Amino acid sequence: MTSALRSALSRRRFLTSTGVALLIAPAVSNGYARTITGLPWEPNAGDYPKPVVPGGWVFFTGDEGVAVEAIVDRLIPHDDLSVGGKEAGCAVYIDRQLAGSFGDSSWLYMRPPFAKGTPSQGMQSPVVPAQRFRTSLAALDSYCKQTYSGKGFAALGADQQDDLLKGLEAGKVQLPNVDGKAFFDLVLQSTMEGFFADPLYGGNKDMVSWKMIGFPGARYDYRDHISKHNQPYPNPPVSITGRADWSVRS
Amino acid sequence: MKRLIRYTLVALALGSSAAYAGDDQSFTAIQKGRDLAILGDCAACHTAPGGQAYAGGLELQTPFGIIASSNITPDRETGIGAWSDEQFYNALHNGTTPHGSHLYPAMPYPAYTKLTREDTDAIHAYLQTLQPVNKSVVTNRLPFPFNIRADMAVWNALNFTEGTFKPDPQKSPEWNRGAYIVEGLGHCGTCHTPKNVMGGDKNSAHLEGASLQGWFAPNITNDQRLGIGSWSEDDLVQYLKTGSNARTIASGPMAEEIEKSSARWTDADLKAVAVYLKDLKPAHPGDNAQPIAADDKRMTAGAAIYKDRCAGCHQDSGKGGAKLFPALAGSAIVQQPDATTLMRVVLQGSQGAGTSGAPTHPAMPSFSHTLNDDQVASVLTYIRNSWGNAASAVAGGDVKSLRKNSPGG
Repeated sequence: MTSALRSALSRRRFLTSTGVALLIAPAVSNGYARTITGLPWEPNAGDYPKPVVPGGWVFFTGDEGVAVEAIVDRLIPHDDLSVGGKEAGCAVYIDRQLAGSFGDSSWLYMRPPFAKGTPSQGMQSPVVPAQRFRTSLAALDSYCKQTYSGKGFAALGADQQDDLLKGLEAGKVQLPNVDGKAFFDLVLQSTMEGFFADPLYGGNKDMVSWKMIGFPGARYDYRDHISKHNQPYPNPPVSITGRADWSVRS
Repeated sequence: MKRLIRYTLVALALGSSAAYAGDDQSFTAIQKGRDLAILGDCAACHTAPGGQAYAGGLELQTPFGIIASSNITPDRETGIGAWSDEQFYNALHNGTTPHGSHLYPAMPYPAYTKLTREDTDAIHAYLQTLQPVNKSVVTNRLPFPFNIRADMAVWNALNFTEGTFKPDPQKSPEWNRGAYIVEGLGHCGTCHTPKNVMGGDKNSAHLEGASLQGWFAPNITNDQRLGIGSWSEDDLVQYLKTGSNARTIASGPMAEEIEKSSARWTDADLKAVAVYLKDLKPAHPGDNAQPIAADDKRMTAGAAIYKDRCAGCHQDSGKGGAKLFPALAGSAIVQQPDATTLMRVVLQGSQGAGTSGAPTHPAMPSFSHTLNDDQVASVLTYIRNSWGNAASAVAGGDVKSLRKNSPGG
């Protein structure tokens, strides 16, 4: 979506225009009654997500990137079911999300007051995710260096990393000036998104998670298969951008 | 006094009966003219987008340059309000204006020459009842040398056969009515007959399909594979009346023709056209094409794309769904020698015709964002050569140039 369109749909403007429409609608509705013939349609319509461009970090600093790669590799460790979170591209996914409209909350209503919400209401804070990641990763780094004699998170052993993450999740580890549990929840959520979202967003490399769970990917409908009971679905997963078989290999 | 009244009554009676017999401003003539104007779809070309009906100004892209349609409302200054029936007849029959200059055959007088004088008079009578619109249109926007109207005298000598339609006594009145519509007022060949280098009809390939304005108007002869040979008369009537039938849905310029014109024809005229088209033998039968082998690399790539992106609606079998998703298997439009329409529909998407008989307006999404040129070519090569279909492969380069030339593509 373009930024112009986004701002045209800002909540305030929507409410204003709706209010005005409600006020004047009864006055003009008779005069404007009309039959709409046909349906609006235009060629090349579509609002497709732009595929992530591979390469270096866009949001993270080098140290931040290394730490996040270490975290996602403990949340989704490499095992006999799949590759780990780092190899699947979860850190790349998080980096690109933080550099975009998720990172700066530009798609959210971000005006005060910020009352304390219920758990189901999500984040209620003026601190946007990009800022939250930056301060939390800095706090995590200083906590690690203080606690583990100068080592950053990535330099810790796997067991130490797991213990620390479990401590954050349980609210037992207190990071300086940062809500450690809120940070853990945010990283866990983002890592799962990166692992299972369409590969065009930077994670789920080669549709690894979809192959693991048997999800057929971005398909439209299954009428050709719906009556074939107790037979495995035969088609491999497909991304929004397609799959390798789509190209003529020479 | 009594005598005066009697004279007046006689005069009135004479006057009104004269009006009924000879004056073409009678209701019956006007009504007939209106129906004929719909049959010929005059408004389609003589109306600019968003402009007043019949006031002209639509730009027609021809291979020679732009020609804009003229104002045919009865405005005396800028329209045809000052034209006599005779002058109107000459424009349609000979392609000449009252000033003696030549029309360009973007105005399909090579087809309209077949109209009877009675019908051109009726159309003229109807046009005279329209609200005059004072709007002058520069019709000739062609580059040199095509902008010289006198060129058309030469063109006519080579490409134009003047002559009112002559019924074939061997055929039924219904067949003859169909022929009169298809070859004359309906001017089907204007789009569906291929053109020679001068833009004249290639009569040796009558109604065998032609490309224009970024679309390919398919073969509409009775050819089994490339034409309407496998359609019944009812299929044709339903298609022309509603825009869709069990096999296909009209899109592009044909959807517009159906919505504005043939959806409003009488059932008798629709039937007559179907009878005539079903009797039209192709000069070049298209039954000897061999499909490309299924293990060709373009075919296997196309099959993968088809399965992932197309089969949801058009089904693995290519049979689609009646009145909602056009069948690709056995489709004539899919197997035309020229794949322009197919490339265009996949790139831009398409909205099918919507009429009171089939108001759904089913639409296909655009794939220009998710398929690259070679992928579009592969999937089209696949649908053109599967389920019994057979046609030439589509090249990625053709997709590329169409994408470059289509707005927003």
